Amino acid sequence: MTKRFSLTPYLFLAPALIIIAIFLLYPIGAVVYFSFTEYNIINPPVWVGLDNYKWLLQDQVFRKAMANSFIYLLVTPIIIISSVTLAIIVNRKLPGINFFRALYFIPVISGSIAVGTAWNMMLSTNGIINGVLLSFGLIQEPMQWLAEPSMTLPFAMALTIWLGLGYYMMIFLAGLQNISEDLYDAASIDGCNRLQKHWHVSIPGLRPQITFVAVISSLAALQVFIEVFILFGRLGGILNSGMTMVFYLWRQAFELDNAGRASAIAMVLLVITLAFSILNIRFLERGTEAE
Amino acid sequence: MQLADVKPLSKVRPVPRWQRNLENVGWYIILSLLGIFTVFPFFWVLSTSFKGPLDPIVSVPPQFLPSDPTIDNYTRVWNMLPVDRFYINSILVTGLVVVFNMLFNSLAAYPLAKMKFRGRDLVFYLLLATYVVPPVLTSIPGFVLAVKFFHYYDKIASVIFPYLSSVLGIFLLRQAFKAVPDDLIDAARMDGASELRIWWYILMPVIRPSLATIAIITFVEQWNNFFWPSLMLHTRENMTLQVGLVALRGAFSNDARGVAAGVVMTIVPIIIFFALLQKHFVRGLTGAVKG
Repeated sequence: MTKRFSLTPYLFLAPALIIIAIFLLYPIGAVVYFSFTEYNIINPPVWVGLDNYKWLLQDQVFRKAMANSFIYLLVTPIIIISSVTLAIIVNRKLPGINFFRALYFIPVISGSIAVGTAWNMMLSTNGIINGVLLSFGLIQEPMQWLAEPSMTLPFAMALTIWLGLGYYMMIFLAGLQNISEDLYDAASIDGCNRLQKHWHVSIPGLRPQITFVAVISSLAALQVFIEVFILFGRLGGILNSGMTMVFYLWRQAFELDNAGRASAIAMVLLVITLAFSILNIRFLERGTEAE
Repeated sequence: MQLADVKPLSKVRPVPRWQRNLENVGWYIILSLLGIFTVFPFFWVLSTSFKGPLDPIVSVPPQFLPSDPTIDNYTRVWNMLPVDRFYINSILVTGLVVVFNMLFNSLAAYPLAKMKFRGRDLVFYLLLATYVVPPVLTSIPGFVLAVKFFHYYDKIASVIFPYLSSVLGIFLLRQAFKAVPDDLIDAARMDGASELRIWWYILMPVIRPSLATIAIITFVEQWNNFFWPSLMLHTRENMTLQVGLVALRGAFSNDARGVAAGVVMTIVPIIIFFALLQKHFVRGLTGAVKG
């Protein structure tokens, strides 16, 4: 190419790239550096080598946070199964079906803070959940749902699922509507009943969407914070029962003034999410090759 | 081929009308139950927010509607917290971020899609690499920047600047620009139009649907943004709605009616938006998937 050098493309790129450089690229570099320092954000960082990583290796709470974050990944299969089912349910021509689709979408836009606060109210000791259970005589005394360590993760996960269901439903619905009617007709000619039709046609047809949802919902699960914060408060549940990696990062950095340790947690999180993305992309590629 | 071979087609014969009607009733029951499951937390919060001091929050059996509805809870919250400021701040932040995001991202996406220049692939892969970085990772260096460099800690600017551009936005718009035929741009270049004019007068109108997608995604994201704003904003007058709602929970910890009123005030604007622009919301939020 003999085209003369032009500044134009760089000028077009400049505003966005400056923002991204300051708020995305610089922070990635900085967090790597901070992870090797003792740092409380107020005083300058002091180089401590691998101390933060050594601390991570033997910190019980971090181990708990890692374990919880991986347990949290259970939301992904639950989300896929329930939102595919929901999509199949709403994928039919019925008068008013659009109203129901929109209704199920409302939690997606309402925001996890407001919805989580509502859940917190319902689950509190004098909340409606206890009220209903008491009325039916299912419990004799009001339960302290939010103070029960074994229930912390399940409630947070339930909130995550409830918040996301409508969104994933819409993704699968779009996928279902791309599947040709002929395939279903062919399946019924082959003698499939309704359930079998979905098993043999819908599920394989939704493969790209299932992969996509698996990727984004598992990455989100690894980074959960708000659900725990809004339901269980600044400590993350009794006895660290709701402690996740991001929650612990937040506590170390902004509650306990250990930005160095928090940066080390951030590095571990980065490695895990990268590994996850690569694995997922591998799966994705294999999926498209097969087509 | 004998006629008998075609016989199995009769298996897909239409079902009788009464059977279909009965089936539809069954579907409506399922859809309504799912609807109740979705709407109940909203309904409960709404009902609680109108309950007077004599209406119990919870009783056996539960009282679902206020017997003596009052707006006292709203006025109490409004008088104790600068809710008007929360609204103004949220609208300001969301509005500015949406507008600049569309502007900066589409400026950056144009050369990435339609110009040849040195370093294009480098920029593209750099953006791609940052896309998988967990957002929480940038919060520690971001905090340092806010306190030490930009001096906008606890100011509204701190929750605007980092969001003026987004990698996802650039990618989506790059796809949109790529779909525009080269002839259109070449013709304009022949006529001597500057790249800036081509971008604004020719391309921007063509990619309007993608811009709408970005606008909706950014709107919902920013309106519900919590993690970063909660780190930055501590003076009540500077808080956005989501941060303010958490502050409200602290201030009204023994006042479920007041908290409920706060939740309703936080959710209502976005629900109204959703009701008006339903199709755009769903298409916008799930449309990004195809990329």
